[in-house]
Amino acid sequence: MKRALLTLTALALLATTAQARSWDDIKKSGTVRIATEGAFPPFNILKGKELTGFEVELAEGLARQLGLKVQWVTQPFDNLLIGLNQDRYDFVIASHGITPERAKAVDFASPHYCTGGAIVAKPGGPMTAAALAGKKVAVQVGTTYLENVQKVSGVGEVKTFPKDTDAQAALMAGRVDAWVGDKFTGLDLVKAQKGKVMQGALLFNERIGMAVKKGNTGLLKELNSALTKSLSDGSYAKLSGKYFGQDVRCRG
Amino acid sequence: MTARSPRAQPLGGGSLLLWIGGAVLAFLALFFLITVILRQMPDPIGPRADLFVEGARMTLQLTVVSGLIGLVVGMLTGIQKTSASAWVRAPANFFVWLVRGTPLLVQILFVYNALPPLLQSIGIGVQLNEFWSAVIALALNVGAYNAEVIRAGILAIPRGQTEAARSLGLSGAQTMNTVVLPQALRIVVPPLVNNLVALLKDSSLASSIALLELTLAGSRVSSESFQPIPVLTTVAVVYLALTTVMTLFTDQLEKRVKIASR
Repeated sequence: MKRALLTLTALALLATTAQARSWDDIKKSGTVRIATEGAFPPFNILKGKELTGFEVELAEGLARQLGLKVQWVTQPFDNLLIGLNQDRYDFVIASHGITPERAKAVDFASPHYCTGGAIVAKPGGPMTAAALAGKKVAVQVGTTYLENVQKVSGVGEVKTFPKDTDAQAALMAGRVDAWVGDKFTGLDLVKAQKGKVMQGALLFNERIGMAVKKGNTGLLKELNSALTKSLSDGSYAKLSGKYFGQDVRCRG
Repeated sequence: MTARSPRAQPLGGGSLLLWIGGAVLAFLALFFLITVILRQMPDPIGPRADLFVEGARMTLQLTVVSGLIGLVVGMLTGIQKTSASAWVRAPANFFVWLVRGTPLLVQILFVYNALPPLLQSIGIGVQLNEFWSAVIALALNVGAYNAEVIRAGILAIPRGQTEAARSLGLSGAQTMNTVVLPQALRIVVPPLVNNLVALLKDSSLASSIALLELTLAGSRVSSESFQPIPVLTTVAVVYLALTTVMTLFTDQLEKRVKIASR
């Protein structure tokens, strides 16, 4: 009995003593560990071995401003915030829409772009929320698209795939009637598939932010001020123009 | 016939029906129990109890369907592998080599993503859904392992048995059906059960093709609630409950086929 209690206490301690690296620790070590998914073009994508994309370049710019070297970690999307809470990395930049449920688990920085969840389907497929009634829809597991598609009344079956690219493959193979995902990613897919798919209506709008472990206010403050600076000194606008041909920052 | 005589037979039709009926009832009771218990649990689990139960049901369905097909596949391939003719052995050897030498995850992804376009290119327009894709991959996989088990079982029957049967005038097929297979069956039941339990757990890989079974149900809840500890514990316990009830019944099966030989 005593031993069981001891073991339990030890386990409980193990589960709670993990401490997020504070801003001072990160500054001292000179390297920041950033996690992303690497399967979400054009925001974060692994091209061969090289990690690139809008968010990747943005985060590297922020780290440069803060005088830090970057160590990238790529993880499946649904693991990212869980890993953050286990201190596997310092912050996450992976197109996380800021939702109340997520805000309960982690702290979000100011949004670094604004976007929406849009429907993509083959010509003749569902293009509006109303047209999704009774249809099969593919989304990525653990995303805001899943929650928001489930809210559409009358929607048929919602299939969850491990990666967005798998969900898109299911659309291309005709296994589902529509895919719901980020509107910019959708535009990329439309461009890549040359008329085989079309983008439909926006289902919802969302603000995208970087996440730090709950209570890591020091790091959050530094990230926010670096982001504000890049928004005002034109480096953000330049990067956004390069990837999207427009400025994707949140307005108002 | 004395009252004890049924025990001397491997497993009659009536008791087999009883056994299947018992297993069905036990699983129904298990699902009812899981539903009741999970609904009582605190937040990340309780409100989503039905998702877990739905996932568990899909896991069991996958196991039963692909387990049965895999048994037939294994039986045919296993017998083929013991054939004297190299022409009969070769395809079976090729099948086992191919399936046993590649990972199950790759096989599932192959059947789901690569098989439909391949079939289309040779003019067969089938659209395999998630369930049947997973069933095909799992059944072929467990079939290859079953084949080796059944081959070993057949080879374990002493040569003299075959020779005696043939010298009594039985044909090759009759010898197989009435002399060799009934004896081999007793030997192969425990390793076949082993494969079945492994199959139930391997079915978790079907989550990679968006089939909503127990593992995917868990990862949905875990990515919604960011609480991996209670979610993964629940998933593991439900798997354990499924395999426990399953082995409860397969143990009975083992006992029954054993009695006749001891």
